[in-house]
Amino acid sequence: MRYLIGIGDYLGFDDSIGLRVAERAAEDVTERARTRGADLPRVIELGGNVIDLAHYLDPVTERVLIVDAAVMGVEPGAFAFFGVEDVESCKVEQTLGGHQADVLGVLELAREINGALPPLTFLGIQPHAVKPEAGLSSVLEARFDEYVAAALAFFERA
Amino acid sequence: MPQDTSIDVHHLTRVEGHGNIVVDVRSGIIETCEWQVPEAPRFFEAMVRGRHYAEVARITSRICGICSIGHTLASVKATEAALGIEVTPQTRKLRTLLKHAENFDSHVLHVYFLAAPDLLGAPSVFPLVEMHGEVVARALRLKRLAHEWGSLIGGRTTHPTTVLPGGFSMLPDVAELEAMRDRLAAALPDLKATVETVAGLAAGIPAFDRPTEYMALTSEHEYGLYDGHVQTILPNGDRAHYDVADYRSCTNEYVVPQSTAKYAKNRLDSYACGALARFNVNYDQLHPEAKRTAEALGLRPIATNPYLNTVAQVVEVVHSAHEALRLFDELIAMGIEDEGLVAPARFGTGASAVEVPRGILFHEYSYDDEGMCTSGNCIIPTGQNHANIQADLERLLPELLAADAAESEIELACEMLVRAYDPCISCSTHYLDIEFVR
Repeated sequence: MRYLIGIGDYLGFDDSIGLRVAERAAEDVTERARTRGADLPRVIELGGNVIDLAHYLDPVTERVLIVDAAVMGVEPGAFAFFGVEDVESCKVEQTLGGHQADVLGVLELAREINGALPPLTFLGIQPHAVKPEAGLSSVLEARFDEYVAAALAFFERA
Repeated sequence: MPQDTSIDVHHLTRVEGHGNIVVDVRSGIIETCEWQVPEAPRFFEAMVRGRHYAEVARITSRICGICSIGHTLASVKATEAALGIEVTPQTRKLRTLLKHAENFDSHVLHVYFLAAPDLLGAPSVFPLVEMHGEVVARALRLKRLAHEWGSLIGGRTTHPTTVLPGGFSMLPDVAELEAMRDRLAAALPDLKATVETVAGLAAGIPAFDRPTEYMALTSEHEYGLYDGHVQTILPNGDRAHYDVADYRSCTNEYVVPQSTAKYAKNRLDSYACGALARFNVNYDQLHPEAKRTAEALGLRPIATNPYLNTVAQVVEVVHSAHEALRLFDELIAMGIEDEGLVAPARFGTGASAVEVPRGILFHEYSYDDEGMCTSGNCIIPTGQNHANIQADLERLLPELLAADAAESEIELACEMLVRAYDPCISCSTHYLDIEFVR
């Protein structure tokens, strides 16, 4: 099984981008499956329950793409594909709960429990603003279709 | 006795959201003892105004990522009460099954990942993987089961999509219910192991006693989770009953300066809700296996040690598992009917109560003749518990000081007390914050 997983908070402004991309991708995947019967990823909207990410990282998983807002020090709206080994977390999350956890911390937990991680890639999108508000910045809105296309194209290449 | 003690736990870890514990003791005199809630208000009750009744639950489910099933159910039930919608027995059973999935999921998370590290002397669950890998793996197995059980019925567990006023937009079929039922039955050994693990850690649970009023949903038919009326019990066993529509008369919210969340009170200056409160109010309706679990863990009603809320959660996990098996069997035997949504009969005002993992949750809405929401009110269980947490700290601190506890022991005891309530203060952000190394 291959998974496209969106992580974020709908009420976190640009922190919602992962969920929004997953939501649109799910519609697209459903349509493609209906019309072409293609072998498509299963789309998961994980929301903020980051620890549930561990459920999709067992040894039988073929490939995972995680879509999330990522503070990468680049222009707002820019996006990048990267692997777990390509980055270090700058987050100081000493806890693992249902609402808050460092995604990279959850991956490390899953790696230790299962012995290894399945092939996993991030699609990180640099936010313009993360704040307690519904909506999306105009910067990310303008490139939204690009993010969705990039996420789905990943599975066509993989 | 320590002359001076200063504790400032800024953003307590292993709780959902942000809260601070501030203690200041000078020459043995307690100058400050506060549970502070600094979370900004999020104005959900304003957001639902002007929204169509079909949209309201989609918005209010975002109040919480853990209890979003509970918020969704409370929301649709309040809307149904306002619109004169009576759902079918099939809908009621499926929603109750969904409710059990949420409690199971959340309690497993709290017991294993949030509370257990304290009992094992670890700062979080991460260091436990090396020494207790199988226990952590078991927790993830149980959590995955609950996640997929909830997703089967609700579409997804975080912000469910299939629960609508009047019924469901999509239904599981009998084969899917049978498969999930079998998975739940196969998980019973993991539950037994959970009880054994917690029994082994029980000696580390602090002894502390502060009787209070306990509030929960109660029903004639089952352990109150999805439906019923409000009941409270005092430590002497005296019970009081309230109609759900009358919820304001038993919650009595008020504002305090150290908290952006309101406090609540009823017959006493504060009350508790959550697993321990449900246990105290509804003990007689627990599944027999859950009662045996309680016995094995030394938990009996009326339990007045707030630290035992975590133990009550374990009892409820066992209860939910066995109740869910019963509900699965009933639904499988009935078969699943492709029912349409029950339509509104009127437009007015309605209230509801549902038990979410942290306690009793109230929603109320008013709708105009077009079905547009004109007002909303939500009273969250953690908000109802804040006054009780504060009162507990005010009782605990002098006891610890009198026992000559070290500052580090006082800090840990206060943290564990707040964590025992499994507070869910707010949602926080989830973005990655990274530096490229290659």
